[in-house]
Amino acid sequence: MDVPQQVDLSPGENEPFWELDETPELVQKRRSQGRIIFDRFVRHRGAIVGFFFLTVLFLFCFLGPLFWRLDPDLIPNDVITSRFTAPDAAHPFGTDWIARDELARALAGGRISLLVALTSMAGAIILGVGIGSFAGFYGGIIDNLLMRFTDVYLAVPLYLLLFVLSATFTDGSPKSVVILISIFGWTYAARLVRGEYLAHREREYVLAARAIGAKNLSLMFRHILPNVAGPIIVNATLLIGSNVILESVLSYFGFGIKAPNPSWGNMVADGQGYFDQAPWLVFVPALLIFLTVLSVNIVGDGLRDALDPHMTER
Amino acid sequence: MGKYLLEIQELKTYFKTKAGRVRAVDGISFSVLPGEKVALVGESGCGKSVTALSIMRLIDQPPGEYANGSIWFDGQDLLELPESALRKIRGGQIGMIFQDPMTCLNPTMTVANQIAEGLKIHLKLSGKQAHQRAISLLEQVGIPDAAARGNAYPHQFSGGMRQRVMIAIALACNPKLLIADEPTTALDVTVQAQILELINGVCSNFGTALILITHDLGVVASMIDRVVVMYAGKVVETAPTEELFTNPRHPYTLGLLASIPRLDEARTDELKTIEGAPPNLLNPPAGCPFMPRCVFARNICRTLPPLDPLAGQEAHLKACWVDVTDPQEQLYAENRRQARLENVKALTKEAAALQTIEEQ
Repeated sequence: MDVPQQVDLSPGENEPFWELDETPELVQKRRSQGRIIFDRFVRHRGAIVGFFFLTVLFLFCFLGPLFWRLDPDLIPNDVITSRFTAPDAAHPFGTDWIARDELARALAGGRISLLVALTSMAGAIILGVGIGSFAGFYGGIIDNLLMRFTDVYLAVPLYLLLFVLSATFTDGSPKSVVILISIFGWTYAARLVRGEYLAHREREYVLAARAIGAKNLSLMFRHILPNVAGPIIVNATLLIGSNVILESVLSYFGFGIKAPNPSWGNMVADGQGYFDQAPWLVFVPALLIFLTVLSVNIVGDGLRDALDPHMTER
Repeated sequence: MGKYLLEIQELKTYFKTKAGRVRAVDGISFSVLPGEKVALVGESGCGKSVTALSIMRLIDQPPGEYANGSIWFDGQDLLELPESALRKIRGGQIGMIFQDPMTCLNPTMTVANQIAEGLKIHLKLSGKQAHQRAISLLEQVGIPDAAARGNAYPHQFSGGMRQRVMIAIALACNPKLLIADEPTTALDVTVQAQILELINGVCSNFGTALILITHDLGVVASMIDRVVVMYAGKVVETAPTEELFTNPRHPYTLGLLASIPRLDEARTDELKTIEGAPPNLLNPPAGCPFMPRCVFARNICRTLPPLDPLAGQEAHLKACWVDVTDPQEQLYAENRRQARLENVKALTKEAAALQTIEEQ
């Protein structure tokens, strides 16, 4: 029988010699948790569109005044003739009943509405996480007390309460509206966080952390909090949307941001009266509210998918 | 208290449930010398893990309670210490390796950070120093390319690597005692040997005492100095390894050793088992817990036998009234065993017959 010739598999003199433990196909591309989440988020087309729109909106509202020089409060001298102009080249969103540029007003209103929404979301989340984490981690009496406290807040109809309180306590400035909205917006986050902490404190990694001597506060915020961050982030994003609506409703009814501060809500209220002559005065702020909340919700959806509990991927 | 590193005396850990009090650990006592390697052996549910958690006082107090006993560690009773003092001991003086490395590592912290945490708490190292020491620990436990791997997350490691990381975490602060709760159960066989070798090596190098909880007697034989056999929350026998394997004196130990299939036995022999099941820990019977399944059982076994040393051998203790080396006892036991086997065969025949009748 013919013995087949032995093939020489050793690398030649000029060929690269692969290290035994690092052939290219076997080296795993290392992605951090953050990178994995980002990749999953990017797969969601709607979320990307929504995110893009929100970025554009934010840039317009906050950097817009650098490019669009018209002053939102400026009442020009020819107010009688230039009021109620339909959208045209000089005024892309038209002018209102005292000839103020609507685009500038929309941007200014956007600034205030978005700022109020963001800061009240931040306040609500901080309060919610603070209360929920203690309630969920310690359980027992602390949990009971904190949750009954939360129930009190949840039991009262929100809008009525806000109307009454804002009539008495606010002065139409954004700061007071932010405080008002955030002290009522934390309840859902608190419940959510409490549920997550109740579940996670039984997990083995918490036991292992206790076994090396970690203190309770460290366990709560260094160990467990990063693991429950997913639902909190989603809730925070959706809270922005609902805060925009909440602030707009308050301002619409005259309780939130009051004149002369512009806000999308009070712009709609003011524009209603002139709907026949100048429908754009209602449509512009209303559409902006709609698109903002829609994008925020879609982004929140995308985040929820990306931050799925079964985060670990190989 | 003087010469022992850890001395457990009559420890009782019960759990309050709706159905009653589960007596998971019901009066166990054993000791560990500094640098000694002790194994806690027993079947599932005999209280080994609860013992380990009790030593570190990690049992949640509302359902669990330390009904009795004391755990003397380095001259202090761990059950009496305040929580702040105990936190210094956990991780600093006693380290623990858990069973399942996949769930015991925090998925959102890098491996080096998890190791460094213990260092920061107990040795008060700065962030940078702790990180450096963490990387060197990773090297010591055999993680290749430790400097880069230290910044990876647990999900990027395989099972064996994760267990090595857990070992690094447990040993970071050079504890005097290491408790390993079935460290190799979740791993495949080739990795098991490596992990055990690693544990053995570090314990020998650093002089750390070891309590290895396992139900694998093969593991015990290879690296352990002394074995403590547990059953239904009680210690039934304890002896140096050689002594236990060559001269077992408790019927349960006999049963355990006999149940291991041997290479030199005929393949067609039936596997020997211990008939029956462990008792319900809600209402354990008074007296020896093994009595219902024991072939050596006598009337006297209805009272609990004390854990006493054998005549002339201080190191070998057993909790049994019967001397299993006595040929008469062995004859009696053999007869009982045959009788039981007949019984079981008859019952299975009956059951099979009933089933065929039903089918027809």
